[in-house]
This record gives sequence, C-alpha cells and structure tokens, in this order.
Amino acid sequence: MIFIIVAVLVTLLAYLSILRSRFLGHQRRKRLDYLLPKIDNLIIDEIMANPEVAAGTPASQIQLNLDGFQELPLHKKWARQATTDRIIHFRRNVRGNAGHLLRNLYIQLELSKDTMRQMKSPKWARKVRALTEFIDMDIPVEDVTILPLTNSRNRELRAAARHAYIKLSKNEPFKFFDVVTDPLLMWDQVELFRIITTTEDISIPNFARWVTYSSNKSVVSFCLKLIVHYNQLPAVPAVTQLLDTKDHYLRADAINCLGKLKVPDVEDRLVSMYSSQPLQCQLEILKAIGRISSGRQIDFLKQEFLHSTNFDLRKAAAKSLVRNNQLAGNVIQELLETANRENLLILKHCMNPLIKY
Amino acid sequence: MSKILLVEDDEIMPKIVARILPSAEYELDHVSNGKEAFEKLEATNYGYDLIITDIMMPYANGFEILSRVKSQPRPIPVIIVSNAGNEDMIMEGFKLGADDFLKKPIIPAELLIRVKRLLMKNK
Repeated sequence: MIFIIVAVLVTLLAYLSILRSRFLGHQRRKRLDYLLPKIDNLIIDEIMANPEVAAGTPASQIQLNLDGFQELPLHKKWARQATTDRIIHFRRNVRGNAGHLLRNLYIQLELSKDTMRQMKSPKWARKVRALTEFIDMDIPVEDVTILPLTNSRNRELRAAARHAYIKLSKNEPFKFFDVVTDPLLMWDQVELFRIITTTEDISIPNFARWVTYSSNKSVVSFCLKLIVHYNQLPAVPAVTQLLDTKDHYLRADAINCLGKLKVPDVEDRLVSMYSSQPLQCQLEILKAIGRISSGRQIDFLKQEFLHSTNFDLRKAAAKSLVRNNQLAGNVIQELLETANRENLLILKHCMNPLIKY
Repeated sequence: MSKILLVEDDEIMPKIVARILPSAEYELDHVSNGKEAFEKLEATNYGYDLIITDIMMPYANGFEILSRVKSQPRPIPVIIVSNAGNEDMIMEGFKLGADDFLKKPIIPAELLIRVKRLLMKNK
C-alpha cells in the first residue's frame, strides 16, 4: 500500500514539476514576445536609423539617446539578458559604425556588469556564456581573469577562455602558450588553429619562440603547424635545431614542417640522418624530400624505392619521385620499365593525379 | 520603384535591411526560406529586380535559389549575404552566377551602395 501511495505522489510531483516548467516557459515566451519587438525598434531607431551613423560620424562622437531604453524593465535580470542577447544578435548582422555604436549602447546600459558578474559564477556554463558575450561585444577583459581559465579542467571552459584570450588580449594574444601545463589535445589544436587563423587584427608572433623555449611538447608541435601555415621562414633555424630532439614524434613533426616550408638547405642533413631514424621519421624525411623537390636526392629516393623492405617507405619514396617529376622523368621511366609487379603498382598509384594518398 | 526579394531566415536581418533600403525607393518582400522563395518567385512570375539571399536556409538553400533564378530567360541579379566565410562556398556562389557577395556582419552603407549599383547596371 505504502508503495502505491509513494508512486502516486512521485507521479503527481513529476507532473506538477513539468506543468510548472511549462508554465514558466510560457510566461517567459509571453514576456519576450512583448519585449523583443520593443527592443528591436529602439535599436533600429537609435542605431540603424541614426542620421549621424549615415553621415559617417565616428561612433565615439555620437551621443546615444537612452530615454527609450530606460522605459524597458531593465531593473529585471531577464530583461537585461534579453537586451544583451538582442544587441549581440544585431552585432552579428552589422558592423562598422553601427557595430561600434551597438557596443557603446551595451556599455552605456551597463549590461557588461551583468556579464562580469557571470564571470565570477562558480558554474562553468555561465562563465562560458560570459566569455562569449565579451567576445561578441569586443569588451577587453584583464589577463588575470582569463588566463587561469585557459588551463581549466573543463574542456568547454578551457576552449572558450583560449578563444577569448586570443580575441580580446590586445598585447600578447598567445601568452597562454607560456602557461599551458596540460597537453593540447588534438581537438584543442584543431579549435585553436581555427580561432587563430580566422581571427582578424591579431599580431602573429614568430612561433619559433615556443619551438625553442616551451617545455610542453604539444605546444611545440602545434607551433610547428602554425609556422607552416604562416610560412614563417625566419623560424627555420629553431625548427632545424629540433632535429636533435630525443622525442622522435616531435622530430617527425619538425621534419614535416621543414618539408612543407620547402627548405632545400636541410635536405643533406635529412638524408644523412635517415638510416638512424625510426620509421615515422624516415617516412617524414622521404615526404619532405618530395615536397622540397630540389632534384638533388633522386638517387636516394630511387634506392629507397627499390631496396626498402617496408611498403610505406617504398610508397613514400615513389610519391616523392613523382613530385620530382620534372627532374626525375628519366628515372621514373626507367623504373616503370624495370620494376617488379608490386613496385610497378605502387608507382602507378602514386602517378595517378586523382589519388591523393 | 525597384522590387527586391529578401530570402533570409534570420529574425533581425530583414528589419535591418528594411531600414537600410528606404521604402520610398525600394519595395522589399521578405521570405524566410528557399521553399517560400520559390513560391513567391513563381507567384510573381519572377517579377523582381533584385534578390538578396542567405546561403544556409531550411528547405532550399541559397545556391538552389541562385541556380533556379539564373536559368530563367530573364535572370534576376542576386546578392548573397551570408556569414559563410568558406572560400569554396563563395566561389561556388560566383560560379552559379551570383552578382555580388557580402559577408555578415555587413556594413549597412555598403549594402545600399551595392544594391544601387546592381540595379543601375541592370536597368
């Protein structure tokens, strides 16, 4: 009997809580349906239709008339949040003078104070939201506030903080590379790469700095990718020094970087170290020689293609020979005529322009 | 008065465009997805002077609108306004015959100038 009563009570409570949340949602929607058109009209009248914006007056010299906004129930938290969201939505659609004016409006309505309060919340989701708002509104935040979050254990918060740091730090947007203690996971690297390469107006440093001094191997590896992306040739000496590192994964990354930067000066060094390297580095060396395509190592590539016992090495050597096609045309022809069945298959595979790998 | 069709699923963008393009000079119709755009175009027998469209929308995207419009005997000029920064997407748009591309967030004055220029060119 007692179980039946408990079950009925729990079911009732569940229904009541569903009803309550639906009612609150309905109320929220009703309030927003009433308020949002008002906010939109005010923003359009004050910002979009502002004659001074059309006249090209700098946003810093335009005095905003906030009287209309004072009539909104901005003493209520939900109304302030709705206004913030709306301003951000507008800013995602317009930039230039109107965008700057939207930012001024956000500041003058003191909405940034709410965002700053959210930053101090113990809940990570609120912090992420606050960071996103700061990025959207381009509000600078002190390094001491964001930097500790770039090492947060929470993945979402860590990514948002790094994103915010790169976007908002005007002086040293990459300073957090100095303080990263945990390895940058592959997904973190993909996200960071996207953020760095798509953010406008950030000064790109010489990433050789971290290649030389960082003790975090994942940071070094990531910086090698950035060096390639930004074609930072002044970083070549630092990357070349990495060929002496004991970590063969890092060494392979360095070889990969040098190959992609097409540095012909390192070819001899790569060939001389080839025989003492693990498979991963040997593969990278063969690929690098193909990318550099100086034509000076064709004999070496031919030797590897003919005599290596490892399939992947033979394939990499063949690919690099094909990349050296202009200078290795005769060698490739000779190999096509004399190679055994498997090597011929590898060579034809590598010569097919439709096959990338 | 020039007739412009705005195809945009964002809630705020139509309000902004309506304010940028003065109603005394431009008659602006707004639809919020590709399917509605096709219905509108069929209903008016493609009677628009210009189409401003987003790329990523429900039912039919901007590219589908673009290819349909450009296959008509009297192709209507199309401006793509999108936050897609992907180079391939932009190139795809131009390959399909887009007359102009504006990346979101837009500069209001820039949109107005580009609309005016395209309308002048096609008069």
